[in-house]
Amino acid sequence: MITLTNVSKQFGRDEAVRDVSLQIERGEMYGIIGASGAGKSTLLRLMNLLETPDAGTVTVDGNELTSLSSRQLREQRHVIGMIFQQFNLVGNKTVYDNVVAPLKLARRPQAKHEERVLECLRFVGLESFKDKYPAQLSGGQKQRVAIARALANEPHVLLCDEPTSSLDPNTTAEILGVLKSINEALGVTIVIVTHEMDVIKQVCDRVTVMADGSVYETLDLVPRGVPEIDNNPAWFVNELRKAGEPDA
Amino acid sequence: MPDVLVQYQTEIWRSIGETFIMVGVSILAAVLVGLPLGTWLYLSRKGQLLENRAVFSVLNLVVNIVRSFPFLLLVVFLIPFTRLIIGTALGTAAATVPLSIIAIAHYSRLVEQSLLDVPRGVVEAAVSMGASIKDVIFKFLYVEARSGLVLGLTTSIISFISYSTIMGVVGGGGIGDFAIRYGYQQFKTELMLYMIFIMLVFVQLIQFTGTTVARVIDKR
Repeated sequence: MITLTNVSKQFGRDEAVRDVSLQIERGEMYGIIGASGAGKSTLLRLMNLLETPDAGTVTVDGNELTSLSSRQLREQRHVIGMIFQQFNLVGNKTVYDNVVAPLKLARRPQAKHEERVLECLRFVGLESFKDKYPAQLSGGQKQRVAIARALANEPHVLLCDEPTSSLDPNTTAEILGVLKSINEALGVTIVIVTHEMDVIKQVCDRVTVMADGSVYETLDLVPRGVPEIDNNPAWFVNELRKAGEPDA
Repeated sequence: MPDVLVQYQTEIWRSIGETFIMVGVSILAAVLVGLPLGTWLYLSRKGQLLENRAVFSVLNLVVNIVRSFPFLLLVVFLIPFTRLIIGTALGTAAATVPLSIIAIAHYSRLVEQSLLDVPRGVVEAAVSMGASIKDVIFKFLYVEARSGLVLGLTTSIISFISYSTIMGVVGGGGIGDFAIRYGYQQFKTELMLYMIFIMLVFVQLIQFTGTTVARVIDKR
C-alpha cells in the first residue's frame, strides 16, 4: 500500500531520514516508534509528501507520489487522510464546516456533503456536536473531529502523527478504539507514529523502530487490544492497588 | 447648534466629505492591494508555502522604506508620481495617492502579522487534505486570521484619518486642514476644538465597531 524506496531527507545539516526503505501492506495497522529526533515524524510526513524527499521514491496505492505534478499530488492527497498531535482544526469553523472542508477541496458533489459529514461524525460519535466550535470541545473530542475530517473523502490510508500524545490515558484508549474500528470496519490502512510504547502494543500489527533517521528493526506483533478504561473511581482504585505488580 | 458651526456648516460638511474620500480610497487600497501584498509577504517567508528569499527581501524592504518615511516627506517626494497618475499634484484626488501608498504598506504589515498568528499545523492540515495555495489562503488562512485582519484594518483606518489631516499641504482639504486654516490660523479656537471633537467621535466609532466585529467573529 505504501512503499518507501531509499528515501532520505535533510534539514540543513541534520539528516532526519537516511536511506529508508519500507513497505506497508494494505489493511495493516503499522506503528513507527523511536526516541525524539529519530526521524519518525519526518518519515510519516514523507508518505504524503508534506516533506519532499531529497532522494528516493514514495509510492502510495500504486501511485508514485514523487513523480506526480502538483495537481495530481493534490488529487492523491484527497484519499490519504492525516491526523496530528495538535488536531489542527480550524478554530473559526464549526465541527460541521471542519469536516466538510475536505469534501469541498475534492469537489465532491455538493448534494452529498451533508449526508457524508453526518455519517463521519456518527462514526466518531459526535453527530450532535456538529454546530459547536472546536474551542467548546475536549481534547479527545477534537481528535475525533479531526478523524472524521480525515475520513470524509473515504481515504485508503490514514496517517497519524502522535495522535494520542497530548491526551490522557482514558482518551487515548478511546481514540485508539476509534482508529482500530476504522481499520477493521472500513479496511483503511493506518500508520501511527508515536513515542508511546503502549499505543504500539495495543493496536499495531507491525512496527518499525527508528533510530538516527534509519530503520533499526521492524517486527511483527500481535496487538493485545485497547484496554477497557472507565471513569469509575473504583477502576482507579483497582489500578492503583495493582500498581506494585508487574504489568500483565 | 453653536453659531460658529452654523456659520461654517458648508465648509464643515465639505471638509468631512473630503476626509471621507481620502480615508475611503485608502481603505480600498489597503484591502485591494495591502491584503494580497501582506499575504504574499507571509507566504514568501522562510518555511512558508511560497518560500522565496529574493521575493521576501524585496517586498520586506519596500514596505519598510515606505513606512520609515516621515509622512509629510513621502507626500512631497511622491509629487511627480502623483502628477503622473492624476494629472495634478494638488487637490483631494491627488491627496489619495500618497495616502493609498502608505495605506498599502501599513496594512500589508499588519496582515502579515495576523497570518503569522495562524498555527502552522492548520496550514499543514490543509495541505495534507490536498488544498491548493488558493484554497489554503481563502479557506484556511483568512478564516482563521479573520479577527486579526479586522483589528488590523481598524488600527489602519484610524492611522489613515490621522495621516489625512496633513493633506492640506497639497490642497487635499479634509477636517484636519479645515481645523488648521479656520480654527488655528484665524484664531477661532472654539471651531478647532469642535473639529477635534468630530474626529474623536469618528475614531471612537471606528474602534468600537472594529473591536466588536473582531470579537463576534472570533470563535477560537
